[in-house]
Amino acid sequence: MHKNVVIAGYARSPFHFAAKGELTKVRPDEMAAQVVRGLLERTKVDPAAIEDLIVGCAMPEGEQGLNVARLIGFLADLPLEVGGMTVNRFCGSSMNAMHIAAGQIQMDAGEAFICAGVESMTRIPMGGYNPLLHPGLAERYPQAYMSMGETAENVAAKYDIPRARQEELAVESQRKAAAAREAGKLADEIVAIRQGNHTVDQDGCIRPDTTAEALAGLNPAFKTDGTVTAGTASPLTDGAAATLVTSEDFAKANDLEVLARIRSIAVAGCAPEIMGMGPVAASKKALERAGLEIGDMEVIELNEAFAAQALACVDQLGLDLARVNLDGGAIALGHPLGATGARITGKAAQLLKREGKQFALASQCIGGGQGIATVLEAV
Amino acid sequence: MKIETAAVVGAGVMGAGIAAHLANAGVSVLLLDIVPEGVQDRNALAAGAVAKMLKTDPAPFMTRRAAKLVTPGNLEDDLDKLANVDWIVEVIIEDLALKHDLYKQIDAVRKKGSVVSSNTSTLPLAKLVEGQSARFAEDFLITHFFNPPRYMRLLEIIAGEKTRPEALECLRDFADRRLGKGVVLCHDTPGFVANRIGSFWMQSAINEARDLGLTVEEADAVMGRPVGVPKTGVFGLLDLVGLDLIPKVDASLAANLAPDDAYQALRRPWPLFEKMIKDGYTGRKGKGGFYRLNTEGGQRVKEAIDLGSGAYAPAGKAAMESLDAAKAGGLKALVAHQDKGGQYAWNVLSQTLAYAASLVPEIVERVPDVDRALQFGYAWKYGPFELIDRLGAADFAERLEAEGREVPALLAKAAEAGGFYRVHEQKQQYLGTDGAYADVPREDGVLLLADVKLAGEPLARNGSASLWDIGDQVACLEFHTKLNTVDPDTVAMVEKTVRTVSGGDYKALVIYNEASHFSAGANLGLALFAANVGMWPMIEGMVEGGQKALRSLKHAPFPVVAAPSGLALGGGCEFLLNSDAVQAHAESYIGLVEAGVGLVPGWGGCTELLARLAADPRRPRGPMPPVATAFETIGMAKVAKSAFEGKEMGFLKDTDDITFNRERLLADAKARALELAEDYQAPEPLELTLPGPSGKTALDFAVRDLRAKGVATPHDETVAGALAEVLSGGPAADMTEPVAEKDLLALERAAFMRLVKTGPTLARMEHTVETGKPLRN
Repeated sequence: MHKNVVIAGYARSPFHFAAKGELTKVRPDEMAAQVVRGLLERTKVDPAAIEDLIVGCAMPEGEQGLNVARLIGFLADLPLEVGGMTVNRFCGSSMNAMHIAAGQIQMDAGEAFICAGVESMTRIPMGGYNPLLHPGLAERYPQAYMSMGETAENVAAKYDIPRARQEELAVESQRKAAAAREAGKLADEIVAIRQGNHTVDQDGCIRPDTTAEALAGLNPAFKTDGTVTAGTASPLTDGAAATLVTSEDFAKANDLEVLARIRSIAVAGCAPEIMGMGPVAASKKALERAGLEIGDMEVIELNEAFAAQALACVDQLGLDLARVNLDGGAIALGHPLGATGARITGKAAQLLKREGKQFALASQCIGGGQGIATVLEAV
Repeated sequence: MKIETAAVVGAGVMGAGIAAHLANAGVSVLLLDIVPEGVQDRNALAAGAVAKMLKTDPAPFMTRRAAKLVTPGNLEDDLDKLANVDWIVEVIIEDLALKHDLYKQIDAVRKKGSVVSSNTSTLPLAKLVEGQSARFAEDFLITHFFNPPRYMRLLEIIAGEKTRPEALECLRDFADRRLGKGVVLCHDTPGFVANRIGSFWMQSAINEARDLGLTVEEADAVMGRPVGVPKTGVFGLLDLVGLDLIPKVDASLAANLAPDDAYQALRRPWPLFEKMIKDGYTGRKGKGGFYRLNTEGGQRVKEAIDLGSGAYAPAGKAAMESLDAAKAGGLKALVAHQDKGGQYAWNVLSQTLAYAASLVPEIVERVPDVDRALQFGYAWKYGPFELIDRLGAADFAERLEAEGREVPALLAKAAEAGGFYRVHEQKQQYLGTDGAYADVPREDGVLLLADVKLAGEPLARNGSASLWDIGDQVACLEFHTKLNTVDPDTVAMVEKTVRTVSGGDYKALVIYNEASHFSAGANLGLALFAANVGMWPMIEGMVEGGQKALRSLKHAPFPVVAAPSGLALGGGCEFLLNSDAVQAHAESYIGLVEAGVGLVPGWGGCTELLARLAADPRRPRGPMPPVATAFETIGMAKVAKSAFEGKEMGFLKDTDDITFNRERLLADAKARALELAEDYQAPEPLELTLPGPSGKTALDFAVRDLRAKGVATPHDETVAGALAEVLSGGPAADMTEPVAEKDLLALERAAFMRLVKTGPTLARMEHTVETGKPLRN
């Protein structure tokens, strides 16, 4: 009963700085619903054919709590027959939403899924409103609760990623993102978010004027003698993203524009104190399942949670930086935790088509020590 | 006619500051200025002024929220909006023709009955209304604010001959109650009151310093604290206000004062002063002034200018015999001393005070008005006539006469009568120009403890606190230690207060005093002394005694209203937190700052702040949000810089009230206490749902990250750990079982005692006692 699974649509909101950007006043459920509606309009898929709306969210409480996926379905006027499920694998949440859909399609439990993700890091703080840690675990295994910044410092030290290299990557990321925006290459994916009379249709995090000199002047953000700064870390971000995942047969029958086929998927755990290395094991697993080599990957979306971990993954996997994050990464664009997986996987699919390449890899690290990866191929 | 909306025309420092203070009072304000050339935002001047004020320290706004009440606009597009406002304040440059034009534009659109005023400091009202409509003249006044408008209490109001009495009364009342200003109604004479005398004083102080050969440091050392003037003295004050302002004020006074006015004789050219302005040495806003901070070579060296050569050299500490004499014998000893410091004090003061005495009733009706103007506008501790009384009016007049100088008629009357002020039949009186004494006037609704004190003896008194009967069966607990720190005597007086007020003769209690600061907290020196000699039981007794006393206040069978002004820190803040209600002066600075000295609040501060935060429906639910907020507020020793911020941070409840006018605070607090006394029931002991060790673990991780970042020091981590233990409810707490008030108080005591026994906490306490500053160890 093997079925091919394809990505037949990708859209996202503009990404803006949490607490000071233009989306601070927008509820995350509302923001995600507008993106889902935008995706439906652009793909012209029949909403009644959707099996389930699967939404990734890293801090599913408050305005993004109460099984927010179901509520987003109501807000987006999906037919009541469409289901709704919220999934949480921190930063890997919405890539995982796509994996769940792929698995269900392959076991013939649905033909079309909307796989979305959302995070308002303004309105729901990282760690949530009620962080209540297990005292015993904290005592025995404090790495379990280690802050993300500290893990980035650990990676930088262990894999010898000097500050200058991190800053070089950050400058590049900003340059690529700014150039892509300038060239109108981001317009396709962005769904304008309306709040009352106000419409937000441009990204807000990109800093085109970033220079190596300016970055070199910043103080370490997490550790007095550290190398990671606010300039080489992804910012706290508000945003949402959504993809349409269907069987290949369904896409053909419904005349959908297919971006890419999902070739293989994987998750893998790693030591939490170097959680940024998660993509290494996950990518290797996914490649092995696809029967492909890293060199076959011509388009790579590697989430830049921190420049330090992204570069360490590049080194360990032997990636060609020229193939990574063609339109900029999370350092420039932003990283709304639950939404990033859908963004980079949808983006990889879109780039695969745009650039006319054969294979793509999307991968990201996950707090607590995990990685997740998806291998895509052209249809 | 009530003022609910206003417009300020002119968004310079003064105009913007006035707009900010109107917003502080809850008035929506339109702030207008011209459209600058070559700028996209046509409201750039006003919008820029608001943005700048949000970064200014000390802050013109009492809360960032107030800034939202200021709507920036411009004079081309928004003039018609003036039709909607009750009060229009003009704060543009001192150019009569420009003002006249603007007034005509304003008059054409403003609504009937609206009031228009000018913030001019130099132009006479009579000239301002020349050529304006009769209706305009009826609605027009001068409202002269002092810089910065939020902080300087003086507002001089000048009404013209044609001004409607209702317009005057409306503004006077608004300025008094809503803006909290000390209003002085001045006559329409040059410089009005404060600047007329203040400018004379400054000019005289400059001349005499040059003539007697005093250094800048020496002059300011004499003309500052020993005289009851802020320690900036004269030259430091000139640096503060800006040297470039002086020639403008001087020229206007010279042009408008009579040729035989004593001020004219003081004027003389001073090339150094002119050169300083020309070279940009205009004071603190420029490259420096009479003082400057030299940062060459990486160090910050305070330098002072040589009044002769104009060269800067490192500032020294003035040492003169007269200064030592003043410390022992006060102002009289200072002016009697024969060294150049003593001569300086006498020459400047005798000229200035005699000048002031010659100006009543020309510039203002009554002697106390002059004193209030200099107190509120120049921050003098004593006004000119109070200074004369301190010198002895007869002695002063005699010395003037002996020196062959003129004795003003009013001074001669005072010399004969025995001074400008006296206490008569338990009331303060002043000398009228008719030579008769009259009661010092008080506005309706003003109740001063100082007046209560004149009228009788306290119900109880010890070295640190007193209990007064303030009428209508309300008692008032007054602290009177240095900075009103709380010591065992204060605690004993609290216990006595609870017994006395419970006794049946009283309905309610107000905690209030008339010092600059409500209370800076527990007496640290005393605790440090006990700790240094290892008297731990004594310290524990102080913590427990304070807790007990404050708990007895909280659970007493009568309502307690605390009425702070100025600092209410640490233990002082805990008095507020343990009261039924707070009637706060808007200028209240509230915080639990114990962490700064390596301690945690031990008199219920942790417990009560938690309870307030937990009860706030606007905060997220669950056991952690109140704990996390209290942890941040107390752990970082955050201080609310106004009563409004105090509400935002949870120190005050929504139901607590704010009074703008310092002189109305006691009356408002008393009224609130009487209101609460109807059907009063003491609060039940608290029960709080707290997260226990799970929450503490989360806070510990947060602190660990701050430590890694270098934001928290090693001892900060220790203090924060102890605080986290208290706020999370202790090791036995669990979210299924509420924690009782008494258990939380026990946790506070235990954490306090644990910390006070550590070396780094003692080092912090010692450093703060000695230097007044925190130690970061």
